[in-house]
Amino acid sequence: MNPPAITIQNLSKDFAVPFRREPVRALCDLSLQIAAGEVYGLLGPNGSGKSTTMKILLGLVLPTAGSTAIFGVSSKRVESREAVGFLPENPYFYKYLTGLETILFFGKLCGLSGSTLKDKAHALLRTVGLTDAAERRLGGYSKGMLQRIGLAQALIGDPRLLVLDEPTAGVDPAGSHDIRDLILQFKAQGITVLLCSHLLSQVQEICDRIGIMHQGRLLTEGRLDELLNSHAKPEWTLENASPELLAQIEVLAGKAGARIVEKAQPQTDLERYFLEVTRGTH
Amino acid sequence: MEPINTFSSGAANTVPRHRLFSWLRVWALAHNTLLELIRLKVFYFLLLFAFLVIGSSIFTVKFSFQNPIQILKDVGLGAMSIFSWLLGLLCTANLIPKDLEDRTLYTILAKPVPRFEYIFGKLLGVFGMLIIAILLMSALFAGVLGLREQQELAELAANTPQDQLAAAMAEVRASAFQANLVPGIVLILIKALLCSTLTLLLSTFATSSVFTMLTSVIIYLIGHVQGVAREAWLSGGDVSPMLKVLSAGVALVFPDLQLFNVVDEIAVGTLLPAALFWQVAGFGALYTLVYFLLAQIVFATREL
Repeated sequence: MNPPAITIQNLSKDFAVPFRREPVRALCDLSLQIAAGEVYGLLGPNGSGKSTTMKILLGLVLPTAGSTAIFGVSSKRVESREAVGFLPENPYFYKYLTGLETILFFGKLCGLSGSTLKDKAHALLRTVGLTDAAERRLGGYSKGMLQRIGLAQALIGDPRLLVLDEPTAGVDPAGSHDIRDLILQFKAQGITVLLCSHLLSQVQEICDRIGIMHQGRLLTEGRLDELLNSHAKPEWTLENASPELLAQIEVLAGKAGARIVEKAQPQTDLERYFLEVTRGTH
Repeated sequence: MEPINTFSSGAANTVPRHRLFSWLRVWALAHNTLLELIRLKVFYFLLLFAFLVIGSSIFTVKFSFQNPIQILKDVGLGAMSIFSWLLGLLCTANLIPKDLEDRTLYTILAKPVPRFEYIFGKLLGVFGMLIIAILLMSALFAGVLGLREQQELAELAANTPQDQLAAAMAEVRASAFQANLVPGIVLILIKALLCSTLTLLLSTFATSSVFTMLTSVIIYLIGHVQGVAREAWLSGGDVSPMLKVLSAGVALVFPDLQLFNVVDEIAVGTLLPAALFWQVAGFGALYTLVYFLLAQIVFATREL
């Protein structure tokens, strides 16, 4: 049986604070498994521990307790990163390099060289739509272009797992839509994606499963459809409904023993669910 | 944004298996660091050096009563020593903090790159830059010195009586650029490499590049005065064991940079004994290696 793409077991992390005896607990007994081929959304407000989890997973920070593994290889071992492509939030690459030089540089770090590397770099630049800007220095790239070059560098090592931290942060809606399409293509290719994003509607569209973190703890996690269905109340969005029709619906609901809980403008389901969970009303 | 083309990264998995140490990765990091330093226009520093050397060449012709070639050698070697140290300091202090601040470090270390390769690559890049800088400075120095030599010889030919001409010319040639300057230039390079490695060590745990630079400058100054201070303290008859231990500790932690002052002797034409050259070079190489290993240990455990 293939090992899960990500295994997190009883993970805790304390950060020492200068001039304070008590450390700050960033993560508390976090356990999580992400199967190969899944698209998993890790959600949570700022400071909830998402970035710390990712950093431990990538070996950038050591855990205080617990362990993490990528495809069965401990994150403490450099080999675990062979299977990973990572796009940090708001990436700033070397401004003095061109787009092509950036991809070639990261390719060499993955052990690629020669014509294999060059062919791959050009193919990836095509994939993210940056062929025309390949010879331009990154100092002149827009935010969306930087995000796309970030995706290309994450893909250069043929990763089986992509860790994307706010991949659409600061990107305009069209660019954001393009990145969403790319993630769906990764999913179709069987690449596991761990996605951290505040764009909940997009997470809802893309992810198979989600986990919601708050104050270093995983409050809830599971399949998106299950989580949302179990909490859903029937909701209709009517167009051209006259006040008489609405009055009749209210009467009928009353007769059937149903209660109208809320009358409001439509809201994204996941958004509401997320707010419920993080505000403790779940 | 341009439309995104169909997804295809080319061939199937073409990435070779991970190796514990890879020269390809180290070379990629070193080359990129060198490129960064060159494109950040650090070599403008060398223009200052050029102005100083050429300026002093002109100045010594007009105003000095000493041997102008000798003064030029003093100024040239001194400037080369100061500029290479300063260049190394300014370039190294900001390398890791900048990568950390821009999160480029995360992207690099999220690849299968061991931390020691990252430090090694960065340091090799700085070394490459210093070697290029010293070579350029040496070439310029030798060029200006050669021109002055020709000028001096032409003046001598015009103004010196025939019976004294051969001796006067031999004296000028003896004071110009000679092979014995090369060990001096090598020692200047080793000193710059040592100080850069020390700066890199400081930057592996410092939280700001200003702190790194200031501490590195202070250690540089301590390195230059510690020998004299130690001699002065310990020359008195009644020296406490505590002071002796403290003195030994300072001598061990901070490099005795005064040893590199043998370059001043080379500038006045003294031939450096091979044993002394190797002793000073070995001392510099040993401290460089120790600081490099300490930087590796500190960075290996640093939370990023």
